[in-house]
Amino acid sequence: MARLLFFCVFLLALTSCKSEVRYEEADAVYRTGDDPRWVTPQYDDAGWKPERGPTGSQVFWVRNWVILAQRNPKIPLGLQVGTFGAFEVYWDGVLIGQNGELATRQRTEVPGTESSSYLVPDSLAKPGRHLVALRSTQAYLNHEERGTAIRLESYPRLLRAPLIVMSFMNLMAGAFLIAAIYYLFLFSSGSRKEPAILVFSIICLLFFALLIAEYIKFYVVIPYPRFYLRLEVIGWLTFAISLLVPLYFAIQFGFKRKGLLTGLMLAVLIGIYLINFNHYDLTAMRLSYAMWLASVAVVAAATVQQARGGGVVLAGLLASAVVNYFLVYDFGLFICFTLIVLCMLYLHAIRVRAMENERQAALLLSSRLKLELLKKNIQPHFIKNTLTSMLDWVEEAPKEGAVFIQALAREFDILNDMAEATLIPVGQEIELCRHHLQVMEFRKEIGYELQTTGIDPTDLMPPAIFHTVLENGITHSLPPLDGRIVFKLHFEHRGRHKRYTLLTCARNRPESGNGKPSTGFHYIEARLRESFGSNWEFCSEAVPEGWLTTINIGPAA
Amino acid sequence: MKILIVEDEARIARRLERMTHDYFGPQLASLSSCESLPTALHALTTAAPDLLLLDLNLNGQDGFDLLKSVAAGAFHTIIISAYTDKAITAFAYGVLDFVPKPFTEERLAQAFARLTAATPARKPESALQFLAVKKQGSLSLIDIKDIRYIKGAGIYAELHLQNGKKELHDKSLEKLAQLLPGSFKRIHKSYLVPIAQAEKIIVQEGSSYQLLLKNGELIPIGRSRYKELRSKMG
Repeated sequence: MARLLFFCVFLLALTSCKSEVRYEEADAVYRTGDDPRWVTPQYDDAGWKPERGPTGSQVFWVRNWVILAQRNPKIPLGLQVGTFGAFEVYWDGVLIGQNGELATRQRTEVPGTESSSYLVPDSLAKPGRHLVALRSTQAYLNHEERGTAIRLESYPRLLRAPLIVMSFMNLMAGAFLIAAIYYLFLFSSGSRKEPAILVFSIICLLFFALLIAEYIKFYVVIPYPRFYLRLEVIGWLTFAISLLVPLYFAIQFGFKRKGLLTGLMLAVLIGIYLINFNHYDLTAMRLSYAMWLASVAVVAAATVQQARGGGVVLAGLLASAVVNYFLVYDFGLFICFTLIVLCMLYLHAIRVRAMENERQAALLLSSRLKLELLKKNIQPHFIKNTLTSMLDWVEEAPKEGAVFIQALAREFDILNDMAEATLIPVGQEIELCRHHLQVMEFRKEIGYELQTTGIDPTDLMPPAIFHTVLENGITHSLPPLDGRIVFKLHFEHRGRHKRYTLLTCARNRPESGNGKPSTGFHYIEARLRESFGSNWEFCSEAVPEGWLTTINIGPAA
Repeated sequence: MKILIVEDEARIARRLERMTHDYFGPQLASLSSCESLPTALHALTTAAPDLLLLDLNLNGQDGFDLLKSVAAGAFHTIIISAYTDKAITAFAYGVLDFVPKPFTEERLAQAFARLTAATPARKPESALQFLAVKKQGSLSLIDIKDIRYIKGAGIYAELHLQNGKKELHDKSLEKLAQLLPGSFKRIHKSYLVPIAQAEKIIVQEGSSYQLLLKNGELIPIGRSRYKELRSKMG
């Protein structure tokens, strides 16, 4: 944020720095051909044309008259020329530099670069009327009759200005490169592959590339035939960013129709590209407007739905629009982008915090469930009643009492073994259930039987699920007339779906009603959620045969 | 002696039955067992027992309402429970004893012995605090601090409260005397008075004694109980 603020101050400083050199310039005039007299200020160019006209590979001259009104005589004067071609630059008839090499009969043209700067000799830089004459050829991009732009400025400033802009832009670019790499690592090392992280990393990388592409012109000499290549690259980078930014917001705010949004956005962007074909800066501008509008639409919708961070991001987007409105510099766009990326970073921070909280909650839940499992057999109702019955068996029938003690010990062993696990083989669970039923037989003096069909003993389920269902079955069933209660556990496996049914064949207690007996059910549901997320269904209901519990595992149909 | 056992664990119910038989022998007029709350409530309303042996946690249902309801009954209640932390609550509502599971024959016999004791066990943590009273079909709790005195009325007891109101309790004066803390004195065969309410003893002609309460009310003192009371009031 501080960096951004500093940057804004810097921009304001730039706009307030008025040039020390004041001058007026006349329109450039052109003439095809080559004549040594055309270089001199004395030559009358009244018949020259304001347009260049097709020149082919011929030499042509450009004459620009400037009236230098005022400058600081202690600082050297500089001349900046912006045009296509290879040319020699003459100031009042004196050669002050050249850009590329003109085509001659013997050799082909060495193309110059679009923008070049020259030092004007002090002796010639007196206030008054001066002639800037260019002797040029333009062997490439013949159809492009690019005008000639002349700028007078103090020479040190001409050299320094791009350095200052670049230093800030590189600073930004570096930050985005680091962010791109960091989030890429985060994505590839994360246990949960969050698509938003990858998209964010790509956006940062694209944004880094965009900044580099935009300002590469200051430190790489691009021959003018390649001038549009850079703009093309900038266009496609802008295109990709414009597509991804609204998608990122859509992912972060959990929009359902991300595919539709992306498709629509793609269509709009391609439309803009086609309509504004070959208008590079305009295309980039309109692409980013489309991106901004789509992002605002997504974020506004999220804000209406009171999504976390929606308001802040919306404010950021609106601020970027304000910045863009007041700054007509070409880096206004980059400030907009930076603001948007900052918004995204903010959203990401919120998301990371939420995820951390979720993870903590999950850990907490797991340890709570572990405790609950261990408590099952030391809670007073179970242990005291078991011990009382055991005392009675030991006093009245010591042999059976010993069997009872063994069964209880075995149940404790199994529970202890599975206490740490979140998933255990069903075979182990069934063994636990059988020992529990044996213990309960001694207590309740009812014959309990567990019948299993279709069981895959290696299938994994959370611990003590069926144990809990059995406990409920025992508690909520009336004592049977024939002294026997049968539990039927059945397993079906169809494709990705698994189904367990546990039927308690007994008369239900009237006081438990037809509603769900809730004892232990929250434990079962929490365990299923812990291991299977939302891919499960749990149903427990009264049926004519007794009580039926169904657990479906697998993606929702 | 008619005894009702309410216990959902079959083995424990049989253990209780056997031990009750062994303790009371021929004194036992009837002994029945229920394994669920609805059947128990039905049995209590149709044929009220003299003693109820109650498991406080029946099939996972909270026993608090049940506790209030049985405490208001005419019979004594002995709680047999796995939840030892409920003992203080149970005593506060006026149960005769709280037998924690697992229990031995000796511990149960000790509880049964309280049936014949005139006064409660002197344990501050097992002090009765509330008397549950049936009133127009609902139950209300009366703090024993609000009681001015209790007057026996046949199989019932009249609770005379400090606010001047009068409530009828289903338990007899004898049974209440077994439950109420030592601060309640039996000054007459028909009167129980909290010692804090007594002002002074008034001796009348013909050596009949009366107790003057702090509100000015006079209550007769039994001849046989005068000496003990006088020593207590010092």
